[in-house]
Amino acid sequence: MAVESQYKWTMVVDIDRCTGCQACVVACQAENNIALNDEESFLRRRAMEWIRIERYWEGEYPNIKARFIPVLCQQCENAPCEPVCPVYATHHNEEGLNVQVYPRCVGVRFCANNCPYQVRFFNWWEPVWPESLRNYLNPDVTVRSRGIMEKCMFCVQRIRRGQRVAAREGRLVRDGEVLPACVQACPTNALVFGNVKDPQSRASRLMAHPRGYRLLKETGTGPNVLYLKKVDPEFHG
Amino acid sequence: MASHAHHVELDPARVARDGLAPTLAGGLRFFTAARILGGLFAVGIVGFVLRLSGGFEDRTAWGYYAALFSFLLTTAGSAPFVAIGLRLTRADWRRPIARAAELFGVVGLLLLLMFIPLLYLIPSAEGRRTIWFGLAGAPHLWDTLAVVLLVVCGLLMLYASAVPDLATARDASPPGPRRSVFAWLAGRWRGSARQWALQRGALTLLGAFYFTLLVLVQTLLSTDFAVSLVPGWKDPLFPTYQALTGFQAAVATVVLAMVVLRWVGYKDYLGVDPFWGLAKVLLALSLLWFYFWFSGLIVLWYGRQPVEENILKLFWFGPYLPLFLATFVLNFVGPLLVLMWNPLRRSMVGPAIASAMVIVGVFLDRVRFFVGAFSVEEAGHALEHVPPAHLPDGIDLMLLVGGVGGALFIYVMATRLVPVLSIWEIREGLLLRARSALVKLEVLVLGKPVRGG
Amino acid sequence: MEARERLTEAQINEDLLGPTLRTPRWFWPVAGFLASVVLAGAVSFGLMINRGLGLTGLNRPVMWGAFITTFVFWVGISHAGVMISSILRLAQAEWRRPVTRAAELLTVFALSTAALFPLIHVGRPWRLMYWFLPYDFPRMVWPNVRSPLIWDPAAIFTYLTGASLFVFIALLPDFALARDRTRGWRHKLYSVVSLGFRGSLRQWKLQAIAGILLSALILPVFVSVHSIVSWDFAVAMSVEGWHATIFAPYFVIGAVHSGVAAVVTIMALMLWLFGWKRYIRSEHFDSLGKLELAVGIGWFYFFFLEFVFGMVSLEGAELALKDMQMFQWPWSLLFGIFIVTAFFIPIPLWMFRRVRRSILAMFLISISVNIGMWFERFLIIVPGLARKQPFAFTWGSYAPQPVELIIVAASFALVLLGLLLFTRLFPPIPIYDMKEGQVLHKDIKVGRSTVPGIARE
Repeated sequence: MAVESQYKWTMVVDIDRCTGCQACVVACQAENNIALNDEESFLRRRAMEWIRIERYWEGEYPNIKARFIPVLCQQCENAPCEPVCPVYATHHNEEGLNVQVYPRCVGVRFCANNCPYQVRFFNWWEPVWPESLRNYLNPDVTVRSRGIMEKCMFCVQRIRRGQRVAAREGRLVRDGEVLPACVQACPTNALVFGNVKDPQSRASRLMAHPRGYRLLKETGTGPNVLYLKKVDPEFHG
Repeated sequence: MASHAHHVELDPARVARDGLAPTLAGGLRFFTAARILGGLFAVGIVGFVLRLSGGFEDRTAWGYYAALFSFLLTTAGSAPFVAIGLRLTRADWRRPIARAAELFGVVGLLLLLMFIPLLYLIPSAEGRRTIWFGLAGAPHLWDTLAVVLLVVCGLLMLYASAVPDLATARDASPPGPRRSVFAWLAGRWRGSARQWALQRGALTLLGAFYFTLLVLVQTLLSTDFAVSLVPGWKDPLFPTYQALTGFQAAVATVVLAMVVLRWVGYKDYLGVDPFWGLAKVLLALSLLWFYFWFSGLIVLWYGRQPVEENILKLFWFGPYLPLFLATFVLNFVGPLLVLMWNPLRRSMVGPAIASAMVIVGVFLDRVRFFVGAFSVEEAGHALEHVPPAHLPDGIDLMLLVGGVGGALFIYVMATRLVPVLSIWEIREGLLLRARSALVKLEVLVLGKPVRGG
Repeated sequence: MEARERLTEAQINEDLLGPTLRTPRWFWPVAGFLASVVLAGAVSFGLMINRGLGLTGLNRPVMWGAFITTFVFWVGISHAGVMISSILRLAQAEWRRPVTRAAELLTVFALSTAALFPLIHVGRPWRLMYWFLPYDFPRMVWPNVRSPLIWDPAAIFTYLTGASLFVFIALLPDFALARDRTRGWRHKLYSVVSLGFRGSLRQWKLQAIAGILLSALILPVFVSVHSIVSWDFAVAMSVEGWHATIFAPYFVIGAVHSGVAAVVTIMALMLWLFGWKRYIRSEHFDSLGKLELAVGIGWFYFFFLEFVFGMVSLEGAELALKDMQMFQWPWSLLFGIFIVTAFFIPIPLWMFRRVRRSILAMFLISISVNIGMWFERFLIIVPGLARKQPFAFTWGSYAPQPVELIIVAASFALVLLGLLLFTRLFPPIPIYDMKEGQVLHKDIKVGRSTVPGIARE
């Protein structure tokens, strides 16, 4: 058995603060070398967005409201995608992340079928970037080949870098020292990232928030992402 | 070939004599059995009145009654299936046992009476998640209709099969009231070619209906009286599992009936062949039991949703774990270990032991599911609390003894009216067999008449 | 009923071995055509490897489509062999004799073809060693035995091995027969594969025991294969339309439904192509029809339960799924085709003896059943994924693209080609079994009429 880790990463998404601006989506795209989504990939429902803003319309015109909810991998405790993978390409690491081992993936896509949140993405084509964007690729992140699955891992490359720095200085990673790209980019601070094993972290303190809920809790997947409900004075549902 | 060594050659006259003997004469054994079983039945009726005095509000208290009903449907109600199935596949060894199997149709009369109180125990389908989707009168009207049709069909099938034998009884009995009863029942049966063709057609048609209705009743009963009462139990396999255990228990019931028939003097008719044949069917059905059980389990277990874990806990691994383990041993492991050996399969002891196990196992199985489902009191979308096991009280025991005793009582009484041996079928079998030489061997040739040929 | 002719052994040999030893004129053009379709499929597969699975119509959420449908379809067809051979042999049904080998062959070829589909379907077929082989053991990374996709190859290869042995054991006496009647390379080939079978009493006994033993042993494998295929779907708790306890028996009985129909198709083709009127008679179609009737009604019962329980909650994704399957264009059309061709055409027609005894009618109905059963799998897999959870934002759809259609068509050509090439080398009706049937068939006299009878020990 591995030594129990001192980290367990989590994210809190405050729906009340989300404006649906999609900055997180763009940041994620740039950080993680995600292939470009062109018009065709959207039309054929093959766009890759490790974090996406789902938009729902509520009410009838003219009293219509747009509702936004950012959905990313929930890093489930009891992840349904994991047991169905025949080659162990996806597994849970000791820090509570659901990680994808790209070199091992053969692309049977069962994990994507068994993910209730639809946050696993398949590389339908070999990803290509225009010459002008070649130098923008993040050297810390693999460029995935065609035929394999990929997904959000809370920017594990940033977590690892933070942990290396902290280990050199003989301490743990401080709260806020490591942030995934989406959290960093969010202009309204709707996303909070942190270590729940550190009781003082911002994320930990939000865990018992009265507005808190988990997505599809009744399926028993045990999501690691906490959502905070919208505060809506006009909403009488 | 060893089995033919002690084979007694029968002749049509002797078949009629032997077949009619218990019907016409009764005898000490009959009166003793009728008295004992009638007494048990009375105990059951007292138990029922006591249970009734408690009213219908407490559904949990009626759990064992529902289990008993399902058990009787599964054993006696399903037993005619053996006759239907074997007639359909034209198995020659069915001839001496077909009547004993379809005679269980008369127990339907008891089932019909027992079904009435059950109707008061389930709420209407409105506002609940059921399979009825707001159909008017659901579920009470349609469930009742299905049960009534099943019973009527069973009785008609028994009659269609018995008519030629009733005519034989009419001709054999001395003038008197019994003779007039037989004469009335046999109607204008003369055994003309047209009548035989009609009888055969009716038997096939009613058999197909009975089979369909049996599956339908098992389906409706298990969904309306078990699945729909437990919130979040989405299990389309369960009705098929109930029907399957019904077939398994039906075979076991007929095997045990054969043991009794041998004991009352039909040794020359019930050789090892029908035991061997039914043992093979029982083995297959026991293996299928495991398959159906595992198919349901793996899906619920792999899903790991909280409601699925609660359902598993309620019926398999929680309060009723001992019953589940007993069922597993009695319905699968035991019959498999006994019947996998051909020498045991091709005997009377092996099938009898396996059948006794299956009957007990199926009973415990019904208790597990119906008592378990009746003890759930929550409404809503998902089962959140697993209720504790509900143990039987004195009244429940009276009901059980009375239910089984009553079913057997009705059966024994019916043997006075309908010969328990299918005389015409055995005689037909005698016509369709011949000895013939194959190279240097003398072999038995079985005729397979082709319809219209 | 037609009179049963007494055939001499020489006549049987001539009739049944003849087409194998002499190539009919239509053979090479037909085989050539089928081979070219297979080639087109191979080219499409190569293109997909080269460019990526983007060539298919798959997307998120419909990650599985026509390939997996066809995989399930062929595994389903492969259930015919054991259903016919093993169960009917154990039940001593006389009419099985001319049917068994065709059914077993269908099993072998359909199963081999089915096994290709996971390979075609995956993103990186060149890394399959991670899947099928316990690769990477220095790092203790083994295939994941919890995944139904590991149970799958285990079941399929076990079944394929068993079914091939089954065919081989039944072929031994016929190999020996062919060996004694041929010269040249054929003689050499048959000498090797007949394993020195000479028809001594001991050899016959061993052959019979092996046949019975394999019949009994292969039954659990037969049931397990399609059950495991069904668990590829049923264990997926995120897909409402798949996660049903009934899936295993429902798939198995559906497989038998389509498999027996495929046997009828093959039987009719054999009868017409080789002119075996005296061996494949309408009474065989009659019996197959009765079996199909029972299986078809049983299948419908399971389908109905699955369907009703699938919408018992009347809410969210469940209802959206049924709505898509039944009422949304073009799925509504597919649903209509499925339910009519798989149930409402065959079941009422099979009830009539005249239909069951008409070879042309049985042939057409059997094709209708299999059209319906392909769509049944398609309608389970695709709408299930397209409406898999309550978040309407990610609901989707799917339409197969040319590469997929070509590869699906090629799989049909591959199975037919396999069967055709087989008839060049091996007799597709078990000759020894037909002779045994002749010997055991005795007429007995009942009163003034004669009734066909069967000798029993």
